[in-house]
Amino acid sequence: MIFLTLEHILTHISFSVVSIVIIIHFLTLLVNEFVGLYDSSEKGMLTTFFCLTGLLITRWIYSGHLPISDLYESLIFLSWIFSIIHMVPYFKKHKNYLSTITAPSTFFTQGFATWGLLTDMNQSKILVPALQSQWLIMHVSMMVSGYAALLCGSLLSAALLVITFRKVIRIVGKNNNLLNDSFPVDEIQYMMEKRNILKNTFFTSSRNYYRFQLIQQLDHWGFRILSIGFLFLTIGILSGAVWANEAWGSYWNWDPKETWAFITWTIFAIYFHTRTNKNLEGLNSAIVASIGFLIIWICYFGVNLLGIGLHSYGSFTLIS
Amino acid sequence: MGILNPTKPPCSSLFSTHFLKPTLLLNSKIVRLKPQIHTLYTTTNNNRSRLSVTIITCGKLKTSKEIKNKDKKASGKIILSDSAPPVVSEESGGGGNGEKVPVKTGTGALGFLKRLPRKVLAVLSNLPLAIGEMFAIAVLMALGTLIDQGEAPQFYFQKFPEENPFLGFFTWKWVLTLGFDHMYSSPVFLGMLALLGVSLMACTYTTQIPLAKVARRWNYLHSADAIRKQEFSDNLPRASVQDLGVILMGAGYEVFLKGPSLYAFKGLAGRFSPIGVHLAMLLIMAGATLSATGSFRGSVTVPQGLNFVVGDVLGPSGFLSTPTEAFNTEFHVNRFYMDYYDGGDIKQFHTDLSLFDLNGKEVMRKTISVNDPLRYGGITVYQTDWSISALQVRKNDEGPFNLAMAPLKISGDNKLYGTFLPVGDVNSPNVKGISMLARDLQSIVLYDQEGKFVGVRRPNSKLPIDIDGMKIIIEDAIGSSGLELKTDPGVPVVYAGFGALMLTTCLSYLSHSQIWALQDGTAVTVGGKTNRAKGEFQYEINLLLDKVPEIVESSLPKQSDVASG
Repeated sequence: MIFLTLEHILTHISFSVVSIVIIIHFLTLLVNEFVGLYDSSEKGMLTTFFCLTGLLITRWIYSGHLPISDLYESLIFLSWIFSIIHMVPYFKKHKNYLSTITAPSTFFTQGFATWGLLTDMNQSKILVPALQSQWLIMHVSMMVSGYAALLCGSLLSAALLVITFRKVIRIVGKNNNLLNDSFPVDEIQYMMEKRNILKNTFFTSSRNYYRFQLIQQLDHWGFRILSIGFLFLTIGILSGAVWANEAWGSYWNWDPKETWAFITWTIFAIYFHTRTNKNLEGLNSAIVASIGFLIIWICYFGVNLLGIGLHSYGSFTLIS
Repeated sequence: MGILNPTKPPCSSLFSTHFLKPTLLLNSKIVRLKPQIHTLYTTTNNNRSRLSVTIITCGKLKTSKEIKNKDKKASGKIILSDSAPPVVSEESGGGGNGEKVPVKTGTGALGFLKRLPRKVLAVLSNLPLAIGEMFAIAVLMALGTLIDQGEAPQFYFQKFPEENPFLGFFTWKWVLTLGFDHMYSSPVFLGMLALLGVSLMACTYTTQIPLAKVARRWNYLHSADAIRKQEFSDNLPRASVQDLGVILMGAGYEVFLKGPSLYAFKGLAGRFSPIGVHLAMLLIMAGATLSATGSFRGSVTVPQGLNFVVGDVLGPSGFLSTPTEAFNTEFHVNRFYMDYYDGGDIKQFHTDLSLFDLNGKEVMRKTISVNDPLRYGGITVYQTDWSISALQVRKNDEGPFNLAMAPLKISGDNKLYGTFLPVGDVNSPNVKGISMLARDLQSIVLYDQEGKFVGVRRPNSKLPIDIDGMKIIIEDAIGSSGLELKTDPGVPVVYAGFGALMLTTCLSYLSHSQIWALQDGTAVTVGGKTNRAKGEFQYEINLLLDKVPEIVESSLPKQSDVASG
């Protein structure tokens, strides 16, 4: 019982903190003067991280197995990975655009896991025979980490697409601080419209320069994070195959979840190949990565929603 | 251009750097000679002029002896290329004609046939084609999950009717003609995979290996201009190239110094690993093919205490499937039992198996469970399923009778088995009796003749239950073990591929970074490039360059000892 209470407290703390972080993010964007708030939002993400870690450990202790055996747990794990991804650049003193992506991602995955339709899901369940294996830790943690990194990377690519397709972008008058700082794409659009009056041919070149720099940065960081995600996905799929050969009798069963994971893998393989070709680089690879974003969600949720195939452990029904 | 294209692909950046190399190396003899050795680049880059220059600089790196040898060859070759210059220029992009081709070009059709494989190779290693193949495979796989697989034709007649086609054209005819009812073994899908495999081979052979060969050579840049044109460049006004070399070595670079020139590189594995990824994929494909053509599979449900022979269960999957000696092994299910959680849910199920050879000698004994299969002589036995085969029941101290249990279909994952003990006249039209239901081997629920609930008994309790004056004792519940058997010669190959793929994918994350530096009086010009971590590379190099000591006595660049730091 004490574990359940502890879990409740941790869930609520982490969710409240991440909500505040998001509000701070928006505030720093709208009102430039609150530069000091940026730091506090980072501290907030740190708090979220520790709360989620505590949540996972609590669940682990009282359920007796690694807490990634159903959808609720894997969602919490996903937002935990997001918060890790969020913090890595913070500790390396490398400011980049990832925090724009990771903070709301943590917010949404956690919000989805905690709220509404999954309320009956968060009861810890027993582990079915097929899941009782050492491979569970390796396979699921690698897959979820892979999803998290790939989602971040593909969101960066989607941001790149949006920025590229904007005719004018207003970055003049803002220093590099803003560039290094994070801001959602909508905000760029908003500011762009606000300052459109100031549009001046004189600024066009420098404006384009900053825009190209932004695109270049997005492209680069998108590529790096997608590489990590692809690596995790590869290890996850392969360890899953080895596990399947132990548990189900075949290393590949063309199970829907398996197949969609392989489709995801193929899509990101296409992404990396488009990057080796100069003619297809940049915009095209970003389009491929954005398609990948949809594919990951189909793989992660869509297949579970149907509840078909051998991976039915994480399935849920909307009307329950 | 550097800003616009922050992530130049390895192939094009290679070409551009070499292109910028000093023209003083141009040697007409080598120019003509070399394209025939390195023509394979043209499959990725149509720019012929760049190509030839690339080759020149490569040639320059070779030892003088090699060059001499080349010169000897060159004397012959030049004549050849002079004799048939139009052929060379007409070939698409200078094409993939190997060394022998120019000799044969005069002979027409025969020459064409000789060139054909190269052309096919060039087409196959075309990147957009490979991307298209991957995309097609992804789409086919997605279709395979959307269309229910392995149903009877009637199912597809209903699901994709001709009157109301899906998307206006997609009817059952499409599904059945293209074999989409068994997508993952349909000719379309397998053909696509085979094509991708061939493309993989072609690409590895014609593009990746030559690129890696070039990358492996360490080469100096002898002009400051060329260094400045790298993706990253900097100028250190008072420094020595030796100091820089020491610092780079400290940072894990391989450093080569020759006079005023420095070349350093790091992470060469990052350049080679994509080849490894391709080879690993091919290995996995080969293993999967072997699995598909050379394996046996079969499943069997054996009640506790019974036997089966491996050969009776297994069925071949392809033309390469050949039975082995181990197929004569007889399996005996000594015991089947389950573990339960405290709440009563099934935790795990186990089967105690004994293996007997032809002479009836026990060769192996093991208790298997889900996630813990048995392996013997190439045969793997998995615990996959279970059911309840019979109840041993004692009625009024008669028996025990064996009552066969039948599976009752209910919705959901839970299993339910039932049996019936008739009471009174068995031959009467509406025979009544006692019903017994079981979800697992733990407890049996009993209902009387009217269908009213009477009680629950555990099989081992020996506790009698009284139903309408009859004393019923449930002696035992006999489970049967659902086993899956297979032999798969492809597994070792596939696992080797898995291992290689994991390793090479990890290595692919490494960046291959190259740094050139040139001592120019007291100043050092530094330039560098990398193929992956561009942002981090600049950061790292800036840090390293900050550490290079500044030399106070500006006229003596080599006295790094007096450096002030």
